[in-house]
Parts: sequence; structure tokens; C-alpha cells
Amino acid sequence: MSEPVVHITNLTLKYRHKPVLQDLNWTIKRNENWLLCGASGSGKTSLAKAIAGLTHSYGNIEICFNPNNSSPALAYYVANWFQFKDLEGQSNFYYQQRYNKQAVETTATVKAELESFGGKHALEIKELDRILAALGFSALVNSTLIQLSSGEHKKLQLVKAIWLKPQLLILDLPYNGLDVASRQNLNLLLDEISATGSQLILISNDTELPACLDHFAVIESGKLIEIEADERSSYEIDLISDRVPAFINDFAIPKTDTEIIKMVDVNISYGDKQVLKNINWEVKSGEKWVLQGHNGSGKSTLLSLICGDHPQAYANNFYLFGNKRGSGESIWEIKARIGLISPELHWYFDPSATVAQSIISGFYDSSGLFCDPGYTKKAQADELIHYFGLTAYQNTLMNELPLGKQRLALLARTIVKNPELLILDEPCQGLDQQQTRHFNQLVDELCSHGTTLIYVGHFESQLPACIENRILLENGAVKTVENIFSIT
Amino acid sequence: MSNYFNTLPLREQLNQLGVCDFMDSSEFLDGVNALKGKKLVIVGCGAQGLNQGLNLRDSGLNVSYALRKEAIEGKRDSWKNATENNFTVGTYEELIPTADVVINLTPDKQHTAVVNAVMPLMQQGATLSYSHGFNIVEEGTQIRKDLTVIMVAPKCPGSEVRAEYVRGFGVPTLIAVHPENDPQGKGLAQAKAYCVGTGGHKAGVLKSSFVAEVKSDLMGEQTILCGLLQTGSILSFDKMVEKGIDAGYASKLVQYGVEVITEALKHGGVTGMMDRLSNPAKIKAFEISEELKDIMRPLFQKHQDDIMSGEFSRIMMEDWANGDKNLLAWRAETGETAFEKTPAADVKINEQEYFDNYTLMVAFVRAGVELAFETMVQAGIKPESAYYESLHETPLIANTIARKKLFEMNRVISDTAEYGCYLFDQACKPLLADFMTRVDTDLVGKNFNEGKDNGVDNRKLIAVNEALRTHQVETIGATLRKAMTAMKTIKTA
Repeated sequence: MSEPVVHITNLTLKYRHKPVLQDLNWTIKRNENWLLCGASGSGKTSLAKAIAGLTHSYGNIEICFNPNNSSPALAYYVANWFQFKDLEGQSNFYYQQRYNKQAVETTATVKAELESFGGKHALEIKELDRILAALGFSALVNSTLIQLSSGEHKKLQLVKAIWLKPQLLILDLPYNGLDVASRQNLNLLLDEISATGSQLILISNDTELPACLDHFAVIESGKLIEIEADERSSYEIDLISDRVPAFINDFAIPKTDTEIIKMVDVNISYGDKQVLKNINWEVKSGEKWVLQGHNGSGKSTLLSLICGDHPQAYANNFYLFGNKRGSGESIWEIKARIGLISPELHWYFDPSATVAQSIISGFYDSSGLFCDPGYTKKAQADELIHYFGLTAYQNTLMNELPLGKQRLALLARTIVKNPELLILDEPCQGLDQQQTRHFNQLVDELCSHGTTLIYVGHFESQLPACIENRILLENGAVKTVENIFSIT
Repeated sequence: MSNYFNTLPLREQLNQLGVCDFMDSSEFLDGVNALKGKKLVIVGCGAQGLNQGLNLRDSGLNVSYALRKEAIEGKRDSWKNATENNFTVGTYEELIPTADVVINLTPDKQHTAVVNAVMPLMQQGATLSYSHGFNIVEEGTQIRKDLTVIMVAPKCPGSEVRAEYVRGFGVPTLIAVHPENDPQGKGLAQAKAYCVGTGGHKAGVLKSSFVAEVKSDLMGEQTILCGLLQTGSILSFDKMVEKGIDAGYASKLVQYGVEVITEALKHGGVTGMMDRLSNPAKIKAFEISEELKDIMRPLFQKHQDDIMSGEFSRIMMEDWANGDKNLLAWRAETGETAFEKTPAADVKINEQEYFDNYTLMVAFVRAGVELAFETMVQAGIKPESAYYESLHETPLIANTIARKKLFEMNRVISDTAEYGCYLFDQACKPLLADFMTRVDTDLVGKNFNEGKDNGVDNRKLIAVNEALRTHQVETIGATLRKAMTAMKTIKTA
């Protein structure tokens, strides 16, 4: 029972010409399930891809599958990032394209995608329903891929992996973007497949994990170190630590009673599918909100209305910064007052911009920088680059950095212009817990100067302290609106 | 109606052909103000119509769509596009009489019918906007004298117009005011505001004329953009099959190769594309493209001459009148070629392999781009206009081939471009017959560098680089591309 399944000796790997793993050794024995945690950029994703044979490395990786196991003899990797293609095999999608009705029919449906996957791996269709139900995905089978939100895309990848039940399943940040119920059910499903022939390597910095995990490791200086379960938190590194840049506190926003957002019976639908139902919501200047709801409850659609990104805004009775939408304002006037980060913004962000360009582009609300920003803006961006610990990476292209670092750059971009309204849609995806805490402290500090905040986060324990109101969506409708002090 | 260009004296022909001003960003400081509060009515809601409308509305302008009654009653795609994005939609009779600006974004061929239907309904002093000048210049349509006539032509497909706008940028755009129809002198201000509304002012705007736009656009699409890509693709595929290369591989190399190769062209011009080859391959590609230029120059000149004299549009309009007999027959033939009918194999071809194994296409593209550019400039078209209609658009057309091969390319481009493409292709293949007998698989299908050492003669390489880099399409291209900073990288193959 204890023969090695994965045997790695002297693995050395470079990511974009920089050494990441150096003579790494690792043995995974039969029936062991591992958690790989630690700092962003330490090489977790690179190691996972090397084991799955998706990236080039030096050294030796041996995988001995069990011939007596009925599960597919595969090392299957579920990426922390996802990509899908249209019916012509291309993936040149653009930001918020899914809200443009004309573009919807260019991708396959979830059902067709799953059938093709099942056909390729000869999977039993009857097994699928239960998995879909457990992850709250059943209602989406007739949607097209482009209509899915980021959390739903993530789930689709997980549905496929669990359905496949490979002998070695490698999951990279699987909880990103998942709601509470889905996270719990995912853990149950993972426990279940691990009991019936799958072994897990799970990359995560989260604390709610499947019970079957029995080994823990971090990567440090390119080598793997096995640790005890309770040692995990001490291996996080401290990136955001300095004082908040002074310019952030320079101009306080006077608190007034004006309504920043006012929605009156807002409805959004695509054909028969109603995504938002009779939304009534008011946000006053200086208020701090958390927006919650299950995956697919309509959170991203609601936020896209506020950011001027949704074409159906024009058919609704809805006010932003005191003006009715569609009364002659341009979306760039709206965006100028908002600092936004979201999974979708990150997903479609210009990958060929440098870190510094990306941060400065926050002044112009563009994805990538198209003009010379001048001295003052550069200086402000510099302060944030330093604050977020990105000095060494400021001239590096975004697509050459690991996700966690990209995310820090985009967070800096979000606040660089010190906006009136901050919309933080799962801002800390890909960050470790310490970075998340620090970022939330920064948000608290920013918001103490009158900034209005709308925060989306699936982890109750990871919200900024300043949050005072909550709006909860369920199936496109407002379920509750409440003061957060009243819930315990 | 007679050909407008041919009614002009030579002095005025030259004058209009020579309108070409790459506008400074300071010319757009007035934003969308010239159109603010005005009622914009777009006729037609296809890819250009819808995406331009979405952008204009998001820029704070009042946009609605006028469609034909049948399209509304039949709930056709154009009606769905507009209503599902919450635009007001109405018939011509309902919307045109109140419009300050009528934006005609229907296919070229419908222009006469659309303009005839729309013009009597338009209010005094309103503006009519085109995105292509064929109707005015070649068909010679006369517009009521009280109306202002402008052109705003984004040089990208509709989806790109939207994609670039939502990420805070835009696509290069060409604008013009028709000198016969600018009674109030407001045409330029409105065209500029329209550009700001679609985001084009951030990516470079070229002030042109109806005449210069039509004569250069027709030339580009017939020769380098569609014609030569079609000829080059078919000849390359047939050559590989003849020489025993796997047909599935050949199909994939041809289908995606032109997109990958011209992606390098988009970012770094002809120089950037040629620099992707090894030194020996670059010298070889240079030499055969010189030969190709000599062989094809008379054909390029004939196309330009026929375009200038109006002969091309005369024979094409005859075919229109004849129920598109030629066009449909040629389209069917394209659908039947071996390349079209051979599915791409499920093999992985990495990005560099498309250059190393398809040196012939690099040579075709260089020859075609330079020839089209040179021929246009010799005919009196300004280099900036010639650049947009040759080099700039090549990657965009290549992208349609990557999607679904030549049939798709011909389906997506206008009927006018498609007609010219077939004329070129039919004449070009026999011209290249002898040349093609001398082509072997080192140029198409296999790695050119295989079995060769990488050595070259210094002086020869320097001379080749010099010739490539000092060509006028490169010097003007460097300036224009600077305005298109941070162009989106297409995810190729």
C-alpha cells in the first residue's frame, strides 16, 4: 500500500527564464492526499503543471498509475485560470462581451461541452447529474459558455474533473470564486472520489479543506518542504506592510446624503432567462456594503450595471451619482468616479502591459496604457508599486507574472486614482491570507475618508472591518438588505 | 447616375485623391459635443451597425435604429440585435424624419436603394453618414443639396470596434466630408465627434475624401487583402499535396499560417514579419518576393487602372444587374477547391513553425503589401491612405481565413471586395504557373532551415535588411502604428 505513485527527483524548472524550482524532490505514496500552500510566486502552479506534463522541466518525474484501478490513469490538472473557445475554435473574447446579446450564440452550450468531454473520456452520463446538483450547476446546462460568470466557469472545470475521477487530480486554487455551499459540497465530493481511487494534490491557502488531506507542504527557495497541518500560517510571507501612501489620504470625500446608486425595479433578462428581478437598492455616499449571493445569483450583472458596462442599463430606471442612466452621460464619465476590480476585469486585462503601465491605466479606466501619463500620475503609481511590494516587477509584463502578483498590480490600479466609489468584486482571489488581511486593512483605511464601498466576497472571515450593510441576492432577486451589525 | 470621379476635371480628381491628413489628438478636444443632444438614426443593424451604435450610446449620444418593415415584422437578426440591446427600433417612416444624423451602415450593394428610400424622408439640413464611398463616387448618387454628407469608416470589423472601445481604446478610423454636400460647413465637426463616440480618436484618425477612400479601398481589397491571400493559399496547398505533404497538415498550415504570419506584420510591419525568419530564410524570402513583385506588377497596375477609370465598377455593376451570375458562380468554385474541402488535421503546429515551414507565404505577403502600396502611391493616392488599405488590413482579412478558410473570407468581405478578389485570383494563377514549378517543399511544408547551416554573407544580409527597412510602407507605417499603441494581440492558432 505504500509504493510511490509520484516520484520526483531533482526537478528544476524555469518560468520565463527565471528559476522557480531548484533540484526539488517529492515522493507521493499511494492513497496520500497533499495540500500545497505558501506564498504567491513560490512555484506551486509551475510544479503542478510539471507533474501534469503541461510544462517543460529538467529532472525526473515518475508517475506509477495503478493498473488495477478502474479510474483513468491520468494526472489531470485543473488550472487556477480558465480559457474557453468559441465554435470556431478561437478564444478572442472581450471584456463584458457576454452582455452583448448578439455575441451569445457564438459559443457551445454547457451541455454540448460536457457531452463532448464525456464522450472523449467514455464517462457515464448518469454520474453527471449528481455532481451538477452538488455544485449548483444543474440549471445552467443550457447556457452558452460565454454567458457564464467567472465562478461558474470555475465550477464547470471542477464538474469535469470530478466526473472524470482521474487517478491523480491536481487542483490549483479550486475555491476561487465559489460560494459557501459549493465550497462545502466540493469538499464532500473530493473526499468521496479520494475514497474511490483518486489521489489529490490541492493548491490552496484556504482553511476549509476536504477531510481527506493528510499531508502538507510548502515550496521554499525552489524546494519542497513537508510541514505539519498547523504550521501552515507561519509560511505566509508579508508583502503589504508599509504605511499607506500619503496621496491616498490627501483628498477626503465630504460625506453627504446624496445617493450614489439608486435602482428602481431593475430587470435584466436574456430571452426567457431573467437574470435580475425587480431590484430595488439605494447606496448613499460613504456607505460600506457587502454584496453576497450564490454563484449565478446575479452579482456580476448587478455590478456591471453600476460600472456602465451593461447595455440593458438604458432600459431600466436607475440612477448613478444622481443622474439617470441614459440621460446623456458617457460611460467614461461614470468610470472616472469608480475604482473597479473583478475576476472578469482581470481575465480580460491586457496581458502585454507592464505592471507599471497597468497600474497607471487606472487613471484612464483602460485595459493597458495608451498615452503618456505625465509626472504626477507616475509618481503616485510609484508609491503604490512600492507599497504593494512590486518594485522589482514594475517593468515586467503582466503575463510573465504569477496570478497573485498580477492581482496585486490590479489592486493598485483600482485605488490609484483614489475614487469616490470602490467596487471590489472578490478582490483577493489568488492572494494568500496575510495579503488578504493587509489589503482589507488598506480598504478600511481608504474608506475612513468617505469612500463608498461595495465589496463582494464569499468568505465571511475575509471581509474588511468597515462593512456596515449587506445586500444578499438569490436567483436574481434581492433576498435581504440589512445592517450587518444585526447578524451574528 | 454617372461615375462621380469621371465627371471631375483632372485638377479636381488629383485634389480629392490627395486629401490625406493624419489628425493630431488635439483636434478632438471638443469630444462628442457636435453630436450631443442630436438624434442619431442608424440604418441597418449588422456587426458594424450594432457595435458602432453601442459605442455611440455609451458615449452619451442618442441612438436609434431604422429598419425595413420586413426586417421588423419578420423579427430578423437586425431587429433582434437592436431590440435585445434595448435600442428604439422603428421603420424608415417613423424615425428618419426626426433624425439629425442618418448613419447608413447597410451593405454597399443596398446603398442606392437605401439612400433613395431615406433621402426624401430626411429633414432639411440633416446629415447623412456613410462608412464607404462607393455609392457616391462610383455609382454617382446625387444627394439633396441641403444635406451634409460625411463618411466615418472604422478600419476594423464591428466586433473589434466594440472590443477596443470597452477596454478604453478604439480602432483606426478614416473620416471624410463630401465637398459637394457641406452646405453649413458642419461636416468635419460632426465626423470628428462621431469618431470620439466610437473611440476611434484614441487610435489614429485619417482625414481622407470619398474619392481617395474608394479608389484605395477597392485596390487594397482586390489585390493584397483578398485576391493575393486567396491565390497564395490555394497555390501553396496544391503544391504541398503535389509534393506528398500530408493534406491535413497542409490544410492547417495554410488556414492558420497566414494569420500567424500577418500578426507579426501588424506589430512590426514587413520588417517585423521578415525578422521572424532565420537569416538564410529571410534572404530567400526576399529574393523570391522580388521575383513575385516583377511577375505580378502588371496585374496590380491593371487593377489600379480599371479602378481609376471606373471600368471595374462598370463591369461589376453589370453583374449586379445580371443577378450576380458571375459572383455566385465564382463563389461556388471557391467552395469546391481541394484546400476548402480538406479538413485541417489535428496536429500541433507551434507559432515559429508557421514561419519556418511557410516561407512562401511570407514572400507572398511582402510582395503583395509592397506592390499594392507602391501601385497606389504611383496612382496619386497618399502613402497614409495606401498604408491603411494594404498593410494595416491584411491581418484582419487573414483572421477570417483562420476562422473558416477562403469561403468564409469571401462571405465576410463585401460583395464588391469578393468580386474583385475573384478577378484577381483568376488572372494571377496563370501568371504564377511557371514560378510555382520552381517551388519546392523547403519553401512550403517543411522547415526551410532543415539541413542547412545558418551562415549568410554579411553584405548580402545588410543589403536585404536595408531594402526592407527603408521601403516607404515601413517608414509611414512606423509613424501610424505609434498612434495605435498597445494594439491587442490576437490569440493565434
